[in-house]
Amino acid sequence: MLLKKKRFLTPAVALVGAALFTAPILAAPFTIEDAEDEEPDAYMAVQGGDIYTGTGEILRGATLLSKNGKIEEIGYNLYLPKDTEVVDAKGLRVYPGLVALSASTRMSLGTFAPGLEFHEFTPHNEFEGVCGDCGKSLEEIIPPALDPGETTTEHLAVEGIKSDFDDSYDPFNGYLVMALGNGITTMQQSTTALKMLRGRIDGVTMADKSMTSFSWSGFNPSGKADLREKFRAGNQYLIDLRRWQELVKKDKELKEPSRKGIDSRVLSVLQGETMAKFSSNDRDDLLGIARLAQANKFRPVISGCVEGWIVAEELGRAGAFAIVTPRTRSDRSEELSRESGSSIENAAILHAAGVQVAVVPANTSVDLGGISGRDLLHLPIEAGFAVRGGLSDKAALESITIVPARLLGVDHRVGSLEIGKDADMILCDGDIMHYQTFVQYAIVNGTQVYDKEDEIFYAHIRPRGEVAVDPGEAVPEAVEAE
Amino acid sequence: MKMKNILIGVSCTLGLQLAATATSGTPDLFALRVGSAETVSHGTIPHAVILIEHGKIVTIGQDLEIERGIPVIDRPDWVAMPGFINCYSRAGMTSFGSNGTVPSVQSSTEFYASQAIYGDLLDVGVTTLGLYPPGNGIPGQAVAVRTSGSSAQDMILEDSVYLKMLMRSNASSKKMIRKAFEEADDHKEDVEKAREKWEKDTEKWEKDQKKKKDDAKKNEGSSVKPSDGDEDKGPGDFVEPTPNGTAAAFIDLRKGDLSALISIRKAGDYLHLVDALGEEDFDWVLRVPLRDDIDLYEVADQLAEDKRTIIIEPRLTLMAWTMRERNLPAELSTAGANVVFVPNGDDLNSHKKWRFHVGHVVKRGMDYQSALRAMTLGPAEVLGLGDRLGSLDVGKDANMLFFSGDPLQPASRLEMVMIDGEFVSDEVVR
Repeated sequence: MLLKKKRFLTPAVALVGAALFTAPILAAPFTIEDAEDEEPDAYMAVQGGDIYTGTGEILRGATLLSKNGKIEEIGYNLYLPKDTEVVDAKGLRVYPGLVALSASTRMSLGTFAPGLEFHEFTPHNEFEGVCGDCGKSLEEIIPPALDPGETTTEHLAVEGIKSDFDDSYDPFNGYLVMALGNGITTMQQSTTALKMLRGRIDGVTMADKSMTSFSWSGFNPSGKADLREKFRAGNQYLIDLRRWQELVKKDKELKEPSRKGIDSRVLSVLQGETMAKFSSNDRDDLLGIARLAQANKFRPVISGCVEGWIVAEELGRAGAFAIVTPRTRSDRSEELSRESGSSIENAAILHAAGVQVAVVPANTSVDLGGISGRDLLHLPIEAGFAVRGGLSDKAALESITIVPARLLGVDHRVGSLEIGKDADMILCDGDIMHYQTFVQYAIVNGTQVYDKEDEIFYAHIRPRGEVAVDPGEAVPEAVEAE
Repeated sequence: MKMKNILIGVSCTLGLQLAATATSGTPDLFALRVGSAETVSHGTIPHAVILIEHGKIVTIGQDLEIERGIPVIDRPDWVAMPGFINCYSRAGMTSFGSNGTVPSVQSSTEFYASQAIYGDLLDVGVTTLGLYPPGNGIPGQAVAVRTSGSSAQDMILEDSVYLKMLMRSNASSKKMIRKAFEEADDHKEDVEKAREKWEKDTEKWEKDQKKKKDDAKKNEGSSVKPSDGDEDKGPGDFVEPTPNGTAAAFIDLRKGDLSALISIRKAGDYLHLVDALGEEDFDWVLRVPLRDDIDLYEVADQLAEDKRTIIIEPRLTLMAWTMRERNLPAELSTAGANVVFVPNGDDLNSHKKWRFHVGHVVKRGMDYQSALRAMTLGPAEVLGLGDRLGSLDVGKDANMLFFSGDPLQPASRLEMVMIDGEFVSDEVVR
């Protein structure tokens, strides 16, 4: 059951408060209607839990305060406004809500959300508003499409974006509850990043089309050559375009460089509107992608990346993102003298080399039929296998929160617990990557959307009352039988 | 058809006589004395006396004195209640339907009266039907018919009782509704434009006329006279341009001349529907087929808050993902939504068992009176006939069913059916 949202501050209280506040400023236009129209602020405090901020420190026994769905404050001895809804998190760990990449099957088919065509969107031009007579050289003005040192893709997000999921999202779907029950609060469906709202449909889409897929394979040499040429031509076009934009100010007659023959998908990558995504596992292919990316100044996203551990340094230098499945097994090739095949250490080695690692399970459906243990509900378990291979706990948490958020272009809103971000978090009774851990509560936009005890899926397994004995609480003495 | 003379004054043997005749006439004015009457609108009346004149109820009350000379039908073992009304049916019609937005289609045009099914439905107590147009999208407008009669003219009670729409959680469905209202807006603009043009024309014409008169005055005396033959009649009265079918239907919706029945499949659809309708304010009711794992309980509070009328089957469903039974009719009704029942299927047998299914839902917790209302007055209101049908009230049509006991008890028999004050059923229906 959903927690009923309380009415915070009665209108009368709000009115008095507002009136007192504005009283000294007589000039301020203030009417009674204004005060009544205003929705009272909704506060929620998650109190006393160990807060794993994701990008920052772990704050033991701290409190997180959210206001109207955004994180207002994290810390100790916080002042809680009147009528704050308090969730007791003593003994629980508070993690950012998990971000699931490329969720498939049941989530995008069936009644949950049909896979329909998507609205095109045209993000703003990154090159607009570059200075005209500021004395900078052309090289200085033309920024690399993506600075390899840059760790955010916030600029990929567009405010108020809508996709067809806004019109088809089912906020009561059982799969949705299951996903929430396993900690997922953001999900990629098709090309869209969805917020797992429950009971409401406004603001479902967070971002759309953050990645553009390209093919790069040793089996298709001409395809590789074509793509290389497309990127070269695209880069040349952008340089010509910038030069023209500068020169046309003095010579109005100058002709704009032709866009003919320039691949628009390549251009969107080079202009930083989307990220280039490759599906590749082979060492040689990975190297090829790394070189292509370095030559053309973009950061590749490589899904699969099974042999990434062999060329981790090169991938790191190219600023690559890797989407890996730590449990993937691939035997070493007997025909090759070089190293090959999978490694449980893949994620750890890639991370150590500076590659941003995201984790997805082998199967990205939400399902209970037959593939239990390898589906999307085991996202944190999959990350746990990366830890088994040597990845740090912190990096493993990042691999299922902030890194996928970056790939989806929503890392300015979700993926970590930071002030100003969406109050999306999960309260767990243990390490999120441990197989025995349950999500006890899930909170999305500062509203509780999941309570283990209230849903049918896990309520019967280790009910809360039996395990959560507060150390401060006196254990009732056993009554001796007479 | 009326055989007044036969029955006057032979109240005690009436029941037997009725069994022998197919359609029996009743006097213009007569009284019914029954064991009890379920009025639906104001509870149960024990020892009810109902006075019926020209097919309408003129008086109803407990143990009323009956004036000497008024024929009395005395059946102390009967329980009377209003006739069943199925407001959402395709009985006797084919399932060829359209796709898309054709709100001007009238299902009355495909109504064919001379079919056995209507008489059969009457026999099992269904006195009124709302027949909807088939198809997806916005397939057209429904018609309300009585199940007694031999011609369409005789049977059709009211045309255009509601506009049917299908709403699904997807962009095209939401767009369809918005677009239909946009057409109504466009028409409004067209009318305004036409009026402006007419006003201008009229002004111009009046000026011209004045000028002509002035000219005529000036020219008085001169030999030139305005010719009478080509006298300008002017633009005349303003005539509104006729709207297209879609615009007309949606203008009627906005004006309140037409109501809508919107069919959805799940709780999520309701949120999307409310979102698609936005600020549009018109009368509409919901139709939700109750399939096994329906999640309608998720929006029960909202449906109740909106005082929504919701057309469902009397059926227990399973909570999604479980084998736990839920009594949605009871839940919705208790929460405060206006529940209206339709039979579990559109065939004769489902209509026959309708009251048993309702009885089951009542046994499992639904309020008895709400359940009776959901088969009578509720559907009558959906058809816009709430002031004529659906309850035993003064002024309403005497459409009545007589049971041997509690209508929702399976052991009770339907003894007799009355439509517009006449007994029509010749057989005892179990």
